[in-house]
Amino acid sequence: MFKAIVSAETLTSALDSVSVLVDECKIHLEEDGLEIRAVDPANVGMVDLSLDAAAFESYEADGGLIGVDLSRLEDIAGMAESGQLIQLELDEETRKLQIQIDGLEYTLALIDPDSIRQEPDIPDLDLPAEVVLEGKDVNRSVTAADMVSDHIALGVEEGDEYFYVDAEGDTDDVHLELTGEDLIDLQVGPAHSLFSLDYLKDMNKAIPKDTEVTLHLGEEFPVKIYFGFAEGQGQVTYMLAPRIQSE
Amino acid sequence: MRLDEYIEDLEPDEEAERRRLAKEKSYEITDHLEEFERRFDDALSGDTLVGSTSPSIFVGRSNYPDIPVGLLSPVGDEDDAEEYVTDGDWYRQGYAIDDVLQRRTSLLNSNKRANVDSPSIASRLTPSVHDAWEGFVGVQREVAIADRPVDLEIGLDDTPDLGIDPGTDVATPRGPRANARNAELRENPYVPKPVKKTLEDDDWQAQGAMTYLYRRGFDVYDINSILSAGALGETEQRRLVPTRWSITAVDDTIGQFLRGRIRNEPSVDEVQVWVNEYMGNRYWVILAPGSWEFELVEMKAPGSIWNPNPEDDVWLQSASEGYDGRSSYVDETAGAYYAARLGVLEHLESIGRQAKCLVLREVSDDYWAPVGVWQVRESVRNAFDGVPGNAGGRESLAGEYGEAETFHGAVAQVAKRLPVSYERLQRKSELAAGLQSNLDAFSRSK
Repeated sequence: MFKAIVSAETLTSALDSVSVLVDECKIHLEEDGLEIRAVDPANVGMVDLSLDAAAFESYEADGGLIGVDLSRLEDIAGMAESGQLIQLELDEETRKLQIQIDGLEYTLALIDPDSIRQEPDIPDLDLPAEVVLEGKDVNRSVTAADMVSDHIALGVEEGDEYFYVDAEGDTDDVHLELTGEDLIDLQVGPAHSLFSLDYLKDMNKAIPKDTEVTLHLGEEFPVKIYFGFAEGQGQVTYMLAPRIQSE
Repeated sequence: MRLDEYIEDLEPDEEAERRRLAKEKSYEITDHLEEFERRFDDALSGDTLVGSTSPSIFVGRSNYPDIPVGLLSPVGDEDDAEEYVTDGDWYRQGYAIDDVLQRRTSLLNSNKRANVDSPSIASRLTPSVHDAWEGFVGVQREVAIADRPVDLEIGLDDTPDLGIDPGTDVATPRGPRANARNAELRENPYVPKPVKKTLEDDDWQAQGAMTYLYRRGFDVYDINSILSAGALGETEQRRLVPTRWSITAVDDTIGQFLRGRIRNEPSVDEVQVWVNEYMGNRYWVILAPGSWEFELVEMKAPGSIWNPNPEDDVWLQSASEGYDGRSSYVDETAGAYYAARLGVLEHLESIGRQAKCLVLREVSDDYWAPVGVWQVRESVRNAFDGVPGNAGGRESLAGEYGEAETFHGAVAQVAKRLPVSYERLQRKSELAAGLQSNLDAFSRSK
């Protein structure tokens, strides 16, 4: 059983943060909210999302599992105007999702969850540095780096205590330093890793500019990117494997 | 063989010798053109070329979609028509740049303009070339799908322009051109069964049909010609495709097919460096363990074509893709990217492995005329296979590889032999900067 009413913004934000990595996903319809875990086919980028029942106008579920085509569902959600509510209801008989937006009814065929790639185990990483910054600073870093290169280095300078972003291109460079004053919080530790901008650009699209973003970093280790949406009732954790410079 | 010993074997002196020979030979082209003119006069009867034979076609792209469609024929050398077809045989026979130019400039391109999807007035109502077997375009399509040169008679509108088009980076150079009035078959061309099958199936997407032909043993050169003539794909989609575009389309399509085949294969288990040299180009192919990733970096020496000013710095261009391939056409390296990628994927598919692969292409000033992207394809293909029978007196390391401990160690070592520094390479190359790891490598499992 699943029946829920949610604002278009909240649903769209949730779907967008997953669709940057995969085309289809499994959605766990838990009693206390939705959960999605997915990894891209190359096993490079992972998303772990939860959307609490409190983020919905109304929410009823009892632990079901559905598989959806994300771009389909995003297209439908995109039919709603800002501020409109979307009603979702699972038809257990037909295994289809009934979607209603202000009188518009859409019946969405679901995908057999067994046919969707297995959900990833979340790696247990020991990441020594933690950086808390505003979404707009993540956006600024990624956008500037993309002008000169296809990859970006993220690191923490332990001595002078700052977080830095480096991008080296064929001819041009980008460098950004954010000290304790520019950041919301910083826990220094040995950290320097290179990441593909292809992935980071996509993840950045899903990060609200006015939200608080927490980065966990290590040396040639994946980055963990955590942020909230829907007034803190939705949580997204991305994990991205680095490009290795030393081997 | 250890990588350092492997690299030791590259003899710079031989290169210098070849350079000297290449320069001498380039003057022969002028003599050759005069001979062509004489042969052409002999073959012309009135304004019709009688007893001609055509091994291949050329579809231009100027003024698209009203493009020049051409029949290529080796005037006065009909008995050896097969030799004029651009394919892997040219590499196997050790053709040098001037051999290619001689072959190509001996081919008369008799062409006529046609619309890509409605070549005749009759077909304007249903724009697609799939039923066009009459007239000039029809004859041209017959030649494209036949498996050997076709005898025909071509009526010319005027005497040919003997000027030579030096070619581009993708298509092979072209020779003299003439405006054709008509063409008639002098025999019933033989069309291989699989080609008939793709031709007759009008509900088969072009990509699937191309892959089918490839699996049936047709090389990309044959498929390119068939695609160019609009002889495969869904009926309404069939149209004439400029040769230059179809070369890249076929390399890309077959490459995607092969990439799919190795997607779930185990990775190579050591870092290997392969090298091959051909026509003033040197190719380093570095394979490393891990999931599929590919990059081509081109270094064009000052004084080579595309970088003609001898005072300029080495030109660098690169393009790369990750495990899932690219979502956009490459901006830099163009058709060479897909040709090199095909060569690598064919090797990996044949050994049932995937790998991370960096191809470094050095273009020296010996490369004085572009011969077409087939040169890239064959050089990379044969880096793994070696030079058959030491063709053309070429000494080569092709077919052997050097081993290295790490990918970046191998790149650093190879960089000592490159015209650019390791630092500059790292700035330009996505793979030299860092290899994409995956999350499994960091799982300590919860």
